[in-house]
Amino acid sequence: MAKPKVSTDWMAGCAGCHMSLLDMDERIAKIAELVDLRSTPITDLKVPDESGVDVGVLEGGINNTSNEEVAHRMRSRCKILVALGDCAVFGGVPAMRNFFTIEESLRRAYIESESTDASGKIPSDPELCKPTRVRALHEVVPVDVFVPGCPPSADTIFYVLSELAQGRIPDVKDDKLSWY
Amino acid sequence: MVTLTIDGKKIEVPEGTTVLRAAQSAGVDIPTLCDHPHLTPYGGCRLCLVEVEGARTLQPSCTMPVSNNMVVKTNTKKVLDARKFVLTLIFSERNHFCPYCQVSGGDCELQNAAYHEGMTHWPLQPNWQPYPVDASHPYIILENNRCILCRRCVRACGELIGNFTLGFEERGAKSILVADTGIPLGESTCVSCGACVQVCPTGALIDRWSAYRGHDVALDSTQTICVGCSVGCGIKVFTRDNNLVRIDGDWDASINGGVLCEIGHFEPMTEKCDRIHTPMVRKNGSLKAATWEEALTAASEGLQSLKGKPRSSIAALISTRQPVETIHNFKQLFENHLGAALVTSTEEGYYTSFSSLAAESTGKPFEGKLSDIHNSDSVMVFEADPLKDHQVAGFFIKRKLPSGLKLLVIDKSENALDKAANKALKPGKCTYEDVFKALTAAVVKLGLAKGKTAIKADELHSLAEKTGLTTDDYLDTAYVIAAAERPVIVYESTENIASLKEFAALVGAKLVGLKGGANSLAAAQLNLDKSYKSDGFKAAFIALGDDELSQKMVKELESIPFKIVQASYASSATAMADVVFPSTTWLEQGGHYVNLEGTVQEAFQSIKPAEEIKTIGDTLIALSTKLGINLDGDWTKELYRRISPVEIAR
Repeated sequence: MAKPKVSTDWMAGCAGCHMSLLDMDERIAKIAELVDLRSTPITDLKVPDESGVDVGVLEGGINNTSNEEVAHRMRSRCKILVALGDCAVFGGVPAMRNFFTIEESLRRAYIESESTDASGKIPSDPELCKPTRVRALHEVVPVDVFVPGCPPSADTIFYVLSELAQGRIPDVKDDKLSWY
Repeated sequence: MVTLTIDGKKIEVPEGTTVLRAAQSAGVDIPTLCDHPHLTPYGGCRLCLVEVEGARTLQPSCTMPVSNNMVVKTNTKKVLDARKFVLTLIFSERNHFCPYCQVSGGDCELQNAAYHEGMTHWPLQPNWQPYPVDASHPYIILENNRCILCRRCVRACGELIGNFTLGFEERGAKSILVADTGIPLGESTCVSCGACVQVCPTGALIDRWSAYRGHDVALDSTQTICVGCSVGCGIKVFTRDNNLVRIDGDWDASINGGVLCEIGHFEPMTEKCDRIHTPMVRKNGSLKAATWEEALTAASEGLQSLKGKPRSSIAALISTRQPVETIHNFKQLFENHLGAALVTSTEEGYYTSFSSLAAESTGKPFEGKLSDIHNSDSVMVFEADPLKDHQVAGFFIKRKLPSGLKLLVIDKSENALDKAANKALKPGKCTYEDVFKALTAAVVKLGLAKGKTAIKADELHSLAEKTGLTTDDYLDTAYVIAAAERPVIVYESTENIASLKEFAALVGAKLVGLKGGANSLAAAQLNLDKSYKSDGFKAAFIALGDDELSQKMVKELESIPFKIVQASYASSATAMADVVFPSTTWLEQGGHYVNLEGTVQEAFQSIKPAEEIKTIGDTLIALSTKLGINLDGDWTKELYRRISPVEIAR
């Protein structure tokens, strides 16, 4: 049997979940043995193969039209989609801004922030993606495996990847289940 | 007894038990959120739904009483699905993003419930409605965004404390927790007892001091007692790396059942005084840091020269916040060995002496216990202010008012219970003896006397007039106490004890006496209850610990030429001293305490003191050694030698 192909990507997150993935130390070699690691934001190949991968892993919530594209692209190219970390699972820290309107958030960031001067203005270039309400991954595309945690521990990530690599759907529970 | 089956287990429980309690007693685990063992069932969260054979829908086990041959199932797919759905709805309602919250990671009952059900995500996302945050209170932040509307806090405030500050405004998803009529908590009628914080299952009520300072699993906890007053509440002291993090009421403590007041719950965290870290000796007019050896030498030299029997011109005063062991050693050293002319407490028996004398004169204890308040149907508070200085005892009274307890206050001064009382008698310029005479006449007039008295009904009018009150005032008051089945009179040691006792006997009331400090009764039992009279003292030893010395006392003692003070904090008392010993605080020492109802309890050390700081007990031993004295008495015997106003448990 060929090794399962795995791609990862990140959206509105802090990269912390990917850092936690790397935090599994020498076990990463074991993962590399078990799976064919394709695109990730921290390796050269950035985009999942058009021909598809077995497992797609997404970190971060979806807070703009660009994130939406990343989510849809990953969903269409992978068989099993994993939501990695609190932002992907719930919306996480970026979702705090949902308690305000997008206009309020943009004004705070680009005009009223302590580091902006009187000339501050909200970017409006048509080339740029559009900010949206922050959503959990499963609000935009169907998700197969939820791995909450801020970040999920290296142990949990290792368990999830090794189960998937061996063709099983991981059951995240007990000491592997933590939302913070 | 009722027989029922829960998950195939046949069990027998008393009638009236709820399905939830029955299941718990049989070791069947049903998750709950709004339920709390010390509060009446509410049935608000629906997490405890179970399947009951024959019932059309799932039933909340917390409010459902058992019935004979009931068959209950707690782990069917229908029940498990319902639990997840209930949690889904709760999570969707407000801001339950765990990473922002101080209780996340073990201390949140909502999060734990979700883990228990294996929830990896929220099937429904929140609706992003912001709710108000109220940070106006000095100890508590009210964060409505994390509230799950379980109303535990509202029930605790009403049922346990009788304060009814917290309540809900609006309906359904818009419900918000408010103080009084929606005013800031810090400006409300809140008495800062902290019961609401202690029962909150989520992070909605935040204790400012302990928030983010570690989860319960990371903290050490010591089960001990509060020494704030003579109630002697059971507490749990939480520390981390020898630092005080939080104090909770001990739910298992028989005296307070988890309830605390501001002094017990929050005050220890607000220590603002200057700690004394080293011994000090006065040299050339000013206090200079010294070694223990130097300070002990200076103290022993000062005392040695005065040592003489039978009466040496030494005054020795000790705080009633000290354990019996220490008070006993203090008495041994100063009274038995040094022959000090005066050995007493800094309280001078203010809260005990009349009661102690009354007990001695009749040769037997005459006071009841706090549990008499719990069982009472009518409480008269006489010249005591429990809600002010024995707050938990005050809560015991106040919380029974909604269920029909009648409350009377007799106090010339303003009393915190005045407003809650059915009748507050405010006699004018007269003696309380006259007041009791008038009350007695009123009882006789009503034909409710349970004993004999020489006072006649027709004296009522003239007696009432003498006290500046009307006959109706007295008849109303007398009826409430005399017609009661289990009347209780709460009082503080008073010169009117004879009249009070007579009146209590007349109406068949039990007397519950507040005692002042945590060990006032123990000090009284050891005869350390004399009042201070200046008597040409040449030296004084003031064992203050973490207590304060009244300004009046400071003035009295100022002129004594040689003063030794052992205290935790710098104050006007240490400033006038010639030798100062640093003292541990109550959290840094252990020992026994006798509360107002004669229960002997042990306090345990929860924080280790700095190396240079010693307990008063250890200091007394060191000083005795220096003076060539051996302290070897047994406090457990001494405590029972004197007849006590209330029976002291053995």
